Amino acid sequence: MGLLEHKFQDNVVVASMDKLLGWARSTSPWFFQFGLACCAIEMMATAASRYDLMRIGMIPRSSPRQADVMIVAGTVTLKMALRVKKLYEQMAEPKYVISMGSCATSGGPYWQYGYHVLKGVDLVVPVDVYIPGCPPRPEALIEGLLKLQEKIQAERPLTKKIA
Amino acid sequence: MTADQEKFIADVVEKALAGDMDAINSIEDRSVRAKAKASLVKAKRAAKAQQKSDAPAESDSPNQQETAETQSPLSILLNSTYPDEIIEVLDEGKTIQLHPKQWNEIATFLRDHPEALLDQMECLTGVDLGTEDALQVRYNLHSMKHRHKIEIRINTNRDKPEIPSVETIWRMTDWFEREAYDMYGIVFTNHRDLRRLLCPEDWEGWPLRKDYEEPETYHGIMVPKVKEGWE
Repeated sequence: MGLLEHKFQDNVVVASMDKLLGWARSTSPWFFQFGLACCAIEMMATAASRYDLMRIGMIPRSSPRQADVMIVAGTVTLKMALRVKKLYEQMAEPKYVISMGSCATSGGPYWQYGYHVLKGVDLVVPVDVYIPGCPPRPEALIEGLLKLQEKIQAERPLTKKIA
Repeated sequence: MTADQEKFIADVVEKALAGDMDAINSIEDRSVRAKAKASLVKAKRAAKAQQKSDAPAESDSPNQQETAETQSPLSILLNSTYPDEIIEVLDEGKTIQLHPKQWNEIATFLRDHPEALLDQMECLTGVDLGTEDALQVRYNLHSMKHRHKIEIRINTNRDKPEIPSVETIWRMTDWFEREAYDMYGIVFTNHRDLRRLLCPEDWEGWPLRKDYEEPETYHGIMVPKVKEGWE
């Protein structure tokens, strides 16, 4: 704290660092590039030039170690559920999960007779934003991503540690 | 429908059958027009059936007609070579049910015989017949040269389902048989790599069998949907 010590009220500097961090994190949430079903097609369309996710600072990364956001796009089978969990665990903190479409959110059309379908990806990984739709339109996905950005911006990572 | 209407529709249909579709298309009332169209389709179908039933009467020898209807060149060929292995010939000789015992030999014969040359395995389907306590495998074979097709059906019992593998005869069959094994638990003997294809390796049970019961958990994950305060 050196220079600024005793010159301001308590926590003033720390709080603005928080905001700075929140701003930095929220404006470059790189997402993990993997798709499970038809929602992935819509995700690709969103990332392509017409909707252009780069505008909001999102770049697809091919490795979980470089990604901040995991977009679960599609039906999660039980076989895949274990792998999704493993991939989530390989991501570095801070990490966020978006459940895209009704399959990832609740099992979708397979909720009753899908013997091999995971009934909601929140059973294996914590989800931050749910996006309804089958599949959601690119606008809906972008809306969800903006909601996630709001959520990241509202976080106070340093304050949390001190408190 | 009134008698007047019926007569009107019958008139219009007759005109349409003679080639004048405008008579129907120009009807103002939508429901009457729909009825007229429906009865036109009916009349056309009846005419077709009439033609079909007339046709056999015209042929000169009823006996030949009989064999041509129940046999195909392929089923005749198979019948002359392996008469004991055939259980049933169905569907005008396009479908043949066989005993599983010599299936390997018959498969090689069907692939290599110059009159058969069934060099392509188009599809392999597993079936759970349910009531008969039997599982069935259906092979759809096709010849690139002769452009003919045949379906082979082989039954096996539910408790110990075993059928000789034809994976080395048609290489296509490799994954087909693995899928049938995955879904129905049919063991294809002498298959070189008989593992599950779609389900995880530690999956229990055979999902497409009629007596399959959905698992409660998989690696600690609840499988059935947990309903909380809705419905």
